[in-house]
Amino acid sequence: MTGLEELKTKILGALPELDVVIGWEQGYDALNATPLFIRKPEDVERLIIGPLCAHNLATYLPGLKDKKVGIVVKGCDSRAVIELLQEKLINKDNITIFGLKCDGVVNLNKIRKKIGDLGQIRKVVFDSGIITITAGETDHQLKFSEVRMDKCDTCKYPNALLFDHFIGTPDDRQNGIEPEHISDAEFEKMSLEDRFAFWKQEMSRCVRCYACRNACPMCVCRDHCVAVTRDPHWISQENDTADNWMFQMIHVMHLTGRCVECGECERACPMDIPLMLLRRQMNKGVRDVFEYEAGIDPQGKPPLLTFKVEEDNIPEREW
Amino acid sequence: MSEKKFLKNESVIPFIEGLAGGRKVLVPVCEGDAVIYRPYRKDCRLELTRMPTISPKDATFPRTETLMTFKQAPVAKTEGDGEGDSDAQPKLELTETLPEEKVVVFGSRPCGARGKSIFTRVYETEDVKDPYFIGRRDNTLFVSIACAAPETTCFCTSVGGGPADTTGSDVILIPVDGGYVAEAVTEHGAELLQSDLLTSGADKAGEAEAVIQKSMELLGDADDFSIAREKLIELFDNDEFWFDMSAKCISCGTCTYLCPTCYCFNITDETAGKSGKRIRTWDTCMSNMFTMEASGHNPRTSKANRLKNRVGHKFSYYPSLHDKVIACCGCGRCIKSCPAAVDIREIVKSAQEYEDVNE
Amino acid sequence: MPVYDGKELRIIGFLCNWCSYAGADTAGVGRFQQPTDLRIIKVPCSGRIDPLFILKAFQGGADGVLVSGCHPRDCHYAEGNYYARRRLELLKRFLPVTGIDPDRFEYTWVSASEAPRWQHVVQTFTDRIHKLGPSPLLAAPLTDAEMAKLQSQVEAGSGCGCHK
Ligand code: SF4
Ligand code: SF4
Ligand code: SF4
Ligand code: SF4
Repeated sequence: MTGLEELKTKILGALPELDVVIGWEQGYDALNATPLFIRKPEDVERLIIGPLCAHNLATYLPGLKDKKVGIVVKGCDSRAVIELLQEKLINKDNITIFGLKCDGVVNLNKIRKKIGDLGQIRKVVFDSGIITITAGETDHQLKFSEVRMDKCDTCKYPNALLFDHFIGTPDDRQNGIEPEHISDAEFEKMSLEDRFAFWKQEMSRCVRCYACRNACPMCVCRDHCVAVTRDPHWISQENDTADNWMFQMIHVMHLTGRCVECGECERACPMDIPLMLLRRQMNKGVRDVFEYEAGIDPQGKPPLLTFKVEEDNIPEREW
Repeated sequence: MSEKKFLKNESVIPFIEGLAGGRKVLVPVCEGDAVIYRPYRKDCRLELTRMPTISPKDATFPRTETLMTFKQAPVAKTEGDGEGDSDAQPKLELTETLPEEKVVVFGSRPCGARGKSIFTRVYETEDVKDPYFIGRRDNTLFVSIACAAPETTCFCTSVGGGPADTTGSDVILIPVDGGYVAEAVTEHGAELLQSDLLTSGADKAGEAEAVIQKSMELLGDADDFSIAREKLIELFDNDEFWFDMSAKCISCGTCTYLCPTCYCFNITDETAGKSGKRIRTWDTCMSNMFTMEASGHNPRTSKANRLKNRVGHKFSYYPSLHDKVIACCGCGRCIKSCPAAVDIREIVKSAQEYEDVNE
Repeated sequence: MPVYDGKELRIIGFLCNWCSYAGADTAGVGRFQQPTDLRIIKVPCSGRIDPLFILKAFQGGADGVLVSGCHPRDCHYAEGNYYARRRLELLKRFLPVTGIDPDRFEYTWVSASEAPRWQHVVQTFTDRIHKLGPSPLLAAPLTDAEMAKLQSQVEAGSGCGCHK
């Protein structure tokens, strides 16, 4: 991501017409970015862009529906904006999009997996594919390609797909992109029994904090989620494996054909449950059956909101 | 303090296994990237160097706790006519389920163990005694590991704790070269240390001291949060301040569920067929449902109101009621695991530094 | 005489009111022999069936779930089953991801007059579920063997760098 100064200028220019512009700023340490809500011109100074800016800010849009909002988006984030527009959950007239070209973002979990707790993080430098983290007195060097988010390994859309202002020059990177994530291939080798046991183990540590739901830009029900209604009683308050599993099924089913694979659910999960595996696998089904990807075409229609009398890829029932 | 002993690294596993004799032992294990407490199993992925992702409060205040079970008894047939008495209320059989299990948590951090002292002031008072919490607390021992390398999110020293704070722990282990210097904090703790696996640690006292000193240096100067008590009350009706502070919050329960001091719960009856249980589960003030009233009215519909409650409760309302004790241990979990990196320290500081521009 | 007398499994059927439920009724009235494992829940239309009904049934320990509606072009509400077909097809493809055998779930179309077809569907599906046996349970704790296997998988994979 380049063009911070250009972006700042564009935002400053648009700000008088807008209630707020959402971007990122430096978080609690050098390895952490956090969403920034720009209301006053002086806030723009705090803006940053780069490999730490993982948050999909589109998550905030439905909650700011009646405001004039500017939003900074990466390629994947823009898909969420498009999907929200498709479903008329937000109004384009109220939104100004600052689109970026993206070179991938960091997954902090992967860094912790590699070097454990970092202690006092002092400095972080990104340079030609290497990230150097100075923590305490130690320098840790990691390959960026090993610590970026999974979605970036297979990213087809590094450039914002919809924008009012594009910052920098679009990337036409297409080569070296794996069609399917490596962890999916590993997973697909597992037997049904093993998969069942695998999810039982993973779901057993879910604390039902609903971060996965609330971080998801497409989960717009939030406070009215069926997971917390008592009538109908879809799931119990009991924080056990079966109910946790059921909650994930609710999330996956309600995102079928709508999930833009932004990875926010998994990034938000404090228990590091591989939620994206479920989403990617469902999206694969959607691609196979409907040749559809969510959040690409603002005029498109989510596949479960329509039908064909003769379906192309659904075989006739045999009995 | 009692005498110092030494537990070498190679003896840690045998020591844990020794504990397992009479008690359920909870240890931090690594699953995915998360470090969580699980019952000790041979060959589990024990993780003692990283700060556990979740606090150990589950041991004394479980995610789900059965308060009682109930079952609808078959309606007894009345003598004579051979028909059931159709007017009779079905009888419910109730069974109380008080906790009895003996537990030891091995490898908590001082801030995690300290958390339960915040609970005690609420769940064990003159008028209110919560038998479930008290039962578990009294049945659970904590062997805590002092922090040699605090994270950027740690701020225990600003809220009355410290990297070797012993509040709530029964034993404290200080990591030194080759093992841990062990010190009993309570009598129960001293019993746990009656093991041949430990040797004398008197000669390592200086080294342990230095580790903690280093840790304190890394933590830097403590913040003074004492004026937050009044400041947060002054700001109670300042909607703009709270809208600003909560703008990036996504209203999930991560902060409260990982927190060692958040003690709010929900009680529900979960039934299946003719039997069921009354359970108590963690609740979170960050959720819209938290204040939902039976009438449908909800006094806290905005995330600004809810975040105000979380911060206000910990840094103002609780200290006002409980001898100025801040209901936060400075563990930083709510900062580090927050999907939006909402920083409770920054909010309290902003409140303390807040000056009304209109005045 | 039930076919699987004494060894019944729990099969849940979601049937639309207008075709399949009526078809099942026709089969009953016509005294077509059927296994009795199936517990039928009547819904207005297959379009009413939320895929979560099926997952909820599995969560609760169902051994099989059968959905049946009107044939395409024959929906009482004109389009309900077209929407259902899309959802159910995706669910069927997704089930193996959870580790639930996709054969435990089937969707089909049976009209009000197709009593023999209904009998065939119930018989075939019930037989299939009996071949598979009882469902694995989410509520059952993992066995030591399962735990050990999971652990070896983690260790064989990229592993967890924090455990060094
Ligand atoms: S998925 Fe693509 S656009 Fe999104 S963060 Fe990764 S590289 Fe950037
Ligand atoms: S974010 Fe993770 S722990 Fe929280 S509810 Fe979702 S899956 Fe469970
Ligand atoms: S389910 Fe996950 S990946 Fe899909 S849109 Fe929601 S947050 Fe993004
Ligand atoms: S409020 Fe945050 S820092 Fe304080 S004890 Fe709770 S989780 Fe830790």
